[in-house]
Amino acid sequence: MKVKVISRSADEFTRERSQDLQRVYHNYDPTLRPQEKAVEYVRALNAAKLEKIFARPFIGAMDGHRDGVSCMAKNPNYLKGLFSGSMDGDIRLWDIANRKTVCQYPGHQGAVRGLTVSTDGRILVSCGTDSTVRLWNVPVANLTESDDSSDNSAEPLAVYVWKNAFWAVDHQWDGDLFATSGAQVDIWNHNRSQPVNSFQWGTETVISVRFNPGEPNVLATTASDRSIVLYDLRMSSPARKVIMRTKCNSISWNPMEPMNFTAANEDCNCYSYDARKLDEAKYVHMGHESAVMDIDYSPTGREFVTGSYDRTIRIFQYNGGRSREIYHTKRMQRVFCVKFSCDASYVISGSDDTNLRLWKAKASEQLGVLHPRERRKHDYHEAIKNRYKHLPEIKRIVRHRHLPKPIYKAAALRRTMIEAERRKAERRKAHSAPGSIVNEQLRKKRIIKEVE
Amino acid sequence: MEDSHRLSVHRFRKMSMGKPKDGDLQLAAMADKSKPGAASTALVEYAGPVFKEEEEDLEIKLRRIMENVPVRVSNTSGSSAGSGLGDFHQYRQMRRKEPDRLAISPALWPPSFTAMAEKKRATHPKAKSLKNQKKSSKKIGDSDMKRKRSGPRLPNSMRKELERLNKTSSLHNSDNEDIDSDEGNDFYEYKEPLPQEESRKNRRYDPVDNYEYQLPDNFEDENVLSDDDDENDYDSSDRTESSKQLGDEVEDDDDERHMRMLQGITGMPSKVFEGKKKKKKNIVMSEAYPESEFNPSRDVLEGSGQITIEDLLEPLQGKAGYSKLRKRMHQMDKKSVAIQAPLPKVEQDKLERKAVYEFSKKDITKWEPLVKMNREAPTIVFDEDTNIGFSTVGAIASGFEPRTEFEKKMATLVNDEKVAEAHKEDGARLLEMNKISVEDYLEDRNHIAKMRSLLFRHEMKRKRVKKIKSKTYHRLLKKDRLKAASAESLMDPEAAKEEARKQEFKRAEERMTLKHKNSSKWAKRILKRGLNTQDEGTRAAIAEQLNQHAILTRKMNSMKDSSSSSSSGSGDSSDEEDIDRNSADSEEDGASKLLAKAKEKTLKILEEEDEIPNSGVLSLPFMVRGVKKRKEEAIEEAKLALQEYESSLKEFEGIGEEENSKAGVTSGRRVFGAVQKEVSEPNKKIKTDNYYRNSDSEDDLEPKENLEVGNRKNNDLQKDVNINSVLLNEDTESHQDSVFKSFDEVVRDSGPKTSYDVSIFASGTWKQMKSGNKMDTDTKKPIKDTDAKKPTKVVKCVWDNQGLEEMNDESNSDSDDGEREMVDGIISSEPKASYKLPSQEELIRLAFAGDDVEEDFQKDKEKILNEENPVPEKPYLLLGWGQWTSFQQKKGLPSWMVEEHENAKKKREDAMKRRKDARLKHVIISEKLDEKAEKLHTKTLPYPFTSKEVFEQSIRVPVGPEFNPATAIGALNQPEVKKKSGVIIKPIKFEEVNPHEKTKDHKPHGQKQKMNKNKGVSNRRPKSRPVVVKS
Repeated sequence: MKVKVISRSADEFTRERSQDLQRVYHNYDPTLRPQEKAVEYVRALNAAKLEKIFARPFIGAMDGHRDGVSCMAKNPNYLKGLFSGSMDGDIRLWDIANRKTVCQYPGHQGAVRGLTVSTDGRILVSCGTDSTVRLWNVPVANLTESDDSSDNSAEPLAVYVWKNAFWAVDHQWDGDLFATSGAQVDIWNHNRSQPVNSFQWGTETVISVRFNPGEPNVLATTASDRSIVLYDLRMSSPARKVIMRTKCNSISWNPMEPMNFTAANEDCNCYSYDARKLDEAKYVHMGHESAVMDIDYSPTGREFVTGSYDRTIRIFQYNGGRSREIYHTKRMQRVFCVKFSCDASYVISGSDDTNLRLWKAKASEQLGVLHPRERRKHDYHEAIKNRYKHLPEIKRIVRHRHLPKPIYKAAALRRTMIEAERRKAERRKAHSAPGSIVNEQLRKKRIIKEVE
Repeated sequence: MEDSHRLSVHRFRKMSMGKPKDGDLQLAAMADKSKPGAASTALVEYAGPVFKEEEEDLEIKLRRIMENVPVRVSNTSGSSAGSGLGDFHQYRQMRRKEPDRLAISPALWPPSFTAMAEKKRATHPKAKSLKNQKKSSKKIGDSDMKRKRSGPRLPNSMRKELERLNKTSSLHNSDNEDIDSDEGNDFYEYKEPLPQEESRKNRRYDPVDNYEYQLPDNFEDENVLSDDDDENDYDSSDRTESSKQLGDEVEDDDDERHMRMLQGITGMPSKVFEGKKKKKKNIVMSEAYPESEFNPSRDVLEGSGQITIEDLLEPLQGKAGYSKLRKRMHQMDKKSVAIQAPLPKVEQDKLERKAVYEFSKKDITKWEPLVKMNREAPTIVFDEDTNIGFSTVGAIASGFEPRTEFEKKMATLVNDEKVAEAHKEDGARLLEMNKISVEDYLEDRNHIAKMRSLLFRHEMKRKRVKKIKSKTYHRLLKKDRLKAASAESLMDPEAAKEEARKQEFKRAEERMTLKHKNSSKWAKRILKRGLNTQDEGTRAAIAEQLNQHAILTRKMNSMKDSSSSSSSGSGDSSDEEDIDRNSADSEEDGASKLLAKAKEKTLKILEEEDEIPNSGVLSLPFMVRGVKKRKEEAIEEAKLALQEYESSLKEFEGIGEEENSKAGVTSGRRVFGAVQKEVSEPNKKIKTDNYYRNSDSEDDLEPKENLEVGNRKNNDLQKDVNINSVLLNEDTESHQDSVFKSFDEVVRDSGPKTSYDVSIFASGTWKQMKSGNKMDTDTKKPIKDTDAKKPTKVVKCVWDNQGLEEMNDESNSDSDDGEREMVDGIISSEPKASYKLPSQEELIRLAFAGDDVEEDFQKDKEKILNEENPVPEKPYLLLGWGQWTSFQQKKGLPSWMVEEHENAKKKREDAMKRRKDARLKHVIISEKLDEKAEKLHTKTLPYPFTSKEVFEQSIRVPVGPEFNPATAIGALNQPEVKKKSGVIIKPIKFEEVNPHEKTKDHKPHGQKQKMNKNKGVSNRRPKSRPVVVKS
C-alpha cells in the first residue's frame, strides 16, 4: 500500500512579515462544500444588514450664506471647488474637503439665478435677476490653500448688462460659449458684451438651460410654458419642443449617453427622454412627494441626484423607476439645487436654509484608502447582495428607509390618491363602451404634444 | 382724389430721398412701408364704379406705379449718397449725363406725362409744401442741381398734361398710362442705392420681384454694356444703372412704338390691342382682399398685359449684339421656372426646425453603438491614471537635497559648473581638469609605495612564522598570547567581559554545531579505521578534540571544576610534555590512566608474589600450601583483573567516541549528581546479568545476536567506571532488541530451545501458527495457504476468549459443527427441489412472510399526516381551572372547551380531506412547508429575467472566496462601476465602435464570460475615457 505523506515545504508557508496572512490551501471541489448557496445567502443577508448599520451619508454642512442657496456650480477641473449663489446675490467658492469658504465674490444686486464654470475651471459665469451676466476669475487651486475666507473677493472680469432678467446659465463643454435663459435663450461668448445668438420660440420665460456635455453644440431648455426645447447650435436654431402637462424645473443630460436627458418635473416625477424620440419618456422616475427642483447626473452616467421641494434628496438609477436612496435631515429645508461631485462619490445640496450639505453618494461607503483585502471584501458583499437582492428578506432590508413623518405621511397620501384615481379610471372604463377609453401609459400620459 | 394725393406725397418723398441725408433716407423707407397697405385699402374703397373710364385708366396706372414703388425704394445712387458705394463709377457717369438729360427732358418728355404731373400738382398743394420742406433740409451742393432738375420742370409738365387732358382721345389713354408708369420709374430709378441683398435681408418680398421681365444679375451686366451701344437713344443714355431701369424705359417707349407699329402693320385700331389691358382692368376691380406683400395683385400673378422681353428687344433689332441677346433670351425662356411666393415665416421656421431636428437626430445616433456597448458591459471602468507626483526613480532623485556634510560636498562637486560644462562639450576638457601637480603626484606615489612595502614585509613575517614547525614555539606563543589575554582580562574588566563574551559565544557555537565531536570528516575516517591502529599523535588529537568539546559544552558552573581537575591532572602528569593536552585532560583520560596504573601495580604484585619467604612460620609446609593456595587465588584474581584492565583499556579507547556522542545527544550540558546514580544502579544490575551471560555464552550468542564487540566490552567496563548512563540505557535497549530478534528466530524455527518466557512473549504468533496447523488438518478441503488466512483469523478471534488448554478440543468440535451445518444447507435444498414448485405469489408471500408492506405504509402515512396536521389535544380537566371545582365535578368539561376541541377536530378533518393525497391510497404527498427554504424563493420572476431557468442559473454558482480560486474571485465579484474616488470623470468622447467586431469577440468566449471579465480590460482606450470591460 502506498502511503501519502503530508509534506509541505517551509518556503511556501513562511511569511515575509508577521502581518502577512498564513497561506491556506483550499480544495475547491464543490462536493466538499454542499451548502454554498445557503452560506452565501446568509452572507448576503448579513451584508445587507451591515449596509444598513454603516449607512451614514451625511458628511457635513457648509454654512455662510445669508439667504437660501439658489444655484450651484462645480468646477469641472478641480474636485474640491464648488460655487454657490444665494438669493441675496452672494457668490461663494467652497473648498469641499474642509468645507470652508475659500473666496467670496461681491455677486449680484438681486438673486443669483445661475452659475457655471468654464471647462478649464478658470472662469465663473453668473447671472441673476439684475439682468446682468458677470464673469469672474476663479482663484487658482494653490492659492486656495491659504485659508483666509472672504478676503479674496474679486472684481468681476466683465459685466454684461442685458435686457431681461436671467433664470439660468450653463457653459458649453470644451468650448467658450455659454447659454443664458430668461425671456429668451441667449448664447454668449466670453469676450462679447452681447449675445452671439438668441433664440425665441414662444413667449414664455425659459427657466433652465443645460448644454449636452457629450455633444457640446446641443442644448436643452425648459420653459414656464411647460415645454422642453432642444436647440442645435450648429444650425443655430431650435430643433424640437415637447410640451408636458406640468412644467419642468430643471434638466440634465446624461454625460455618458449623449442622446438621453432627464427632466425634473413639477409633478414630483422625473422623466428621462431620448432626444430622438420625444413623444414618450423612456423612464419615469417616481418617489418625490413634491416638485422636483433640480437634477444632476453622476459623471458615470449610471445614476442621478434630485433635490425636491419636499426637503429630500433622492438618488435614482438612470433606469430605475424608484429611488435608490433618500437623504434628509431635520434641518434641511426646501432643496433648490443639487450636484453630483466630479468623481461621482459625493452629492452636494443647497437648500432654503442657507446651507450647503455634503453627502456620500453611497450611504454606507467606507471613505479613505482601502486595503486591497478590504476592497475585495466590499466587492464580494456587493456582489452577493446584488445576486440575492430579489429574495424577499434581503429585498425588504435593502429597500427599507426611515422617513421623516411628514414625508411618510405625504407619501401615503399620495399613494392613496393615485390609487383612487386609478380605481376611478378603471370603473370609468368598465362602464363605458369597450374600446372607447384607452389606458394611457404613464410614460406618455404627461406629454401633451411634440411641436415641430 | 385721395389716391392721387397719396401718390404725389409719395413721389415727393421719393425725390427727397435722392438727397444724401440719412434721416431722409429713413423717412422714405418708412413711407414706403406704410404705402402699399394704405394704397390697397384705398383701392378697395374706390373699387365701386364711380369713376369714368378715363379715370379708371388713370387709377390703374397709379396702382401700377405704386406697385412698382417699393422695389425702387432703396437705390439712392442718384445723389451723393452713392458716392461712397461700390458703384461710384456709375454714379459719376450719371452725374456727367445729368445736364444733358435735363436739357433734353422737358422737350422730349411725352406730353401726357407732364400733363398728369401738372394735374396732380395742382390738385394737391399740400404735397408741394411737403416737398419744399424736404428740400430745405437738403445739402446745398446737391439741392442746387435738384432744383434745377425738378423745380422748373414740374409746373411745365403739369401744364402740358392739363392741356393734353383736355383734348386727349381714348387712343392716347393707353399711351398715357405707359408714360405714366414710366414716369414713376423715372422718378425713383435714381433713388435706389440700396443693393438688392440688403433689401432681401429686410425680407421685403415685393411683388415686383415676380415680374417676368426682371432679369438675373448676369443679365444686368449685359445691359450695362449694351447701354453704350444705345448711346444715342435718349432715354437709355441717361439711365445706365441697372437693367431693370433700363428695361422699364425701353419697355415704355417700346410699348408705344409697338402699338404704333402694330397699328401700322395691321391697320387695325389700337383698341384691338388694348383688349388685354381692359380685361386686366376688370380683374383689378374685383380684387377682394387687401393688397400686400403676401397677397400680390392678381394682374401680377396672371402676368397679362405685361411687357415681355421680346417687346423690349424689338427696338434693338438690327443693332450689334442683338442676335446674341435674343439667343440668350430664348435659352432663358426655356429654362425659366416661375419663382414661387415665399412661405409665411411661421411655416418657414417650422420647416427649418424640422430640418435641424432631423439633422440633430441623425447626428446623435452615431453614439448609439458606443452607448449600447457601455450599457451591456458587465463592468464600466473609469480608471484614469492620476499623477501621483513622481513615478520614476529619476523623478524621485531629482527631488534629492544634500543634507549631510558629505552629501553637500559631493553635491558641490557633482554640480560644479565647470564639470558639467566639460561633460557637455568634450572629454578633453575633463582631462584638463584632472591635471595634478608633480609634487602631489610624487607624494602620492611615495605614500603608496611605502604602504605596499610595509604590507609586503608583514606578509613575509607571517609566512616565516607559519613555517616554524616547532611545537614548543607555537605552544609558547599560544601561552604568551593567553597570558597576555588573561593579564589583560585581569587588568581590564572590559577585556574580561569581552573574553567572557567570546567564550560564551564559542560555547554556544559548539552546542549548536558540535564541531568538536568527531563529526569532522577526518575524525570519522580515523574512527572507521580504528583508533588502535592509529599512532599516538592522532589518538591524542582525537582525545584533545573531544576534550575541547566537553569543555565547551559543559555547564557554566562546572567550568571551574574541570579546570581545577585539569590542573590537578596536569599536576599529576607533569612529566608529560604536552601542556595543552594536560590542561584539558578529561575524566576519561584520568580513568584510563588509573587503569594503566592498576595494571602496573597488579603486574608488580604478580612479580613480587613469586618470591616466597623461605624461613619462619611462613615457610611451614601447610603454611606454604595455604599461602600458595591464596597466591594462586590472588594470581587468578590478578589475572582476571589484569584481563579486565586490559580489555577495559582497549574498550575505553575504542568507545570513547560513541560515549561522547551519547552524551551529546542526551543534553548539551552534563548533569552530575544524584540523578545519574539512580539511573546507573539498576543498570548495573542488568549489566551484571548481561555480563555473566555474555561471559558464559559469549561464543554461542555472538553470531546470532550481532552485538557489537565494543558494546560488550563497554558493558564489562561499566562496573568499574561509571561514566555514562545513557550508554548503558542504550546497551540495554540493544540487548532487548537482540532478545526479540532471537525470539522471532526461535518462533520461526519453533525449535525446542524456546523457553516459557518466550512463549508468553510470542503467544500471539504461536497461537496463530497452531491454529493454522489446525485448520490445515481439520478442514479437509484443499484450501491454499493464502486463502486460509482469513478463516484462521476468524478462528483466532473466537479462540482468544478461550483458555489455552481447551483450545485443541474446542477447535475440533467447532470445526465439526461447521461442517455439519454446511452439510445441512445442501441437504435441505436437495429434497425441496424434488417437490412441485409453488406459485410465484406463494413464493413472494413466503419470501415476505414476516412483513406486511401495505400496513407499514399505511402507518407511515398516518404518522406523516399526524405530523403535518396534528391531532388536537384532548381537553384536559384541571381542577379549579376554568370553572369552579364543584361545577367541574358536576358537569364535566366546560362546554367551550369541548366545543373548541370539536372545532379543532373538524378543522383537522377538513384539512385532511383537502390534502392532495387524501384519495390516493398508496401515495404520500407532503404538504409540509419548509420555512427555511421559503426564504430562498421569490414569489414572482424578478424583472430583468425572462425565465425561471435563467434566474436560477444566475444564482447557481457561488462567488465566494471559499468556493473559487483567488484568480477567479476578482472577476466574479466585479462591481458594475469601477472608479477611483478623487479622480474627475470626464464626459464621454466619441469613438468608433465596430459592433461586428464586438460580437465576434463575444461568441467564442461566451462560456468563459466570467473568467475573462477582468482580462479584457482594454488598454487601447485613452485614459480619461470610461473603459468598458469586454467579456
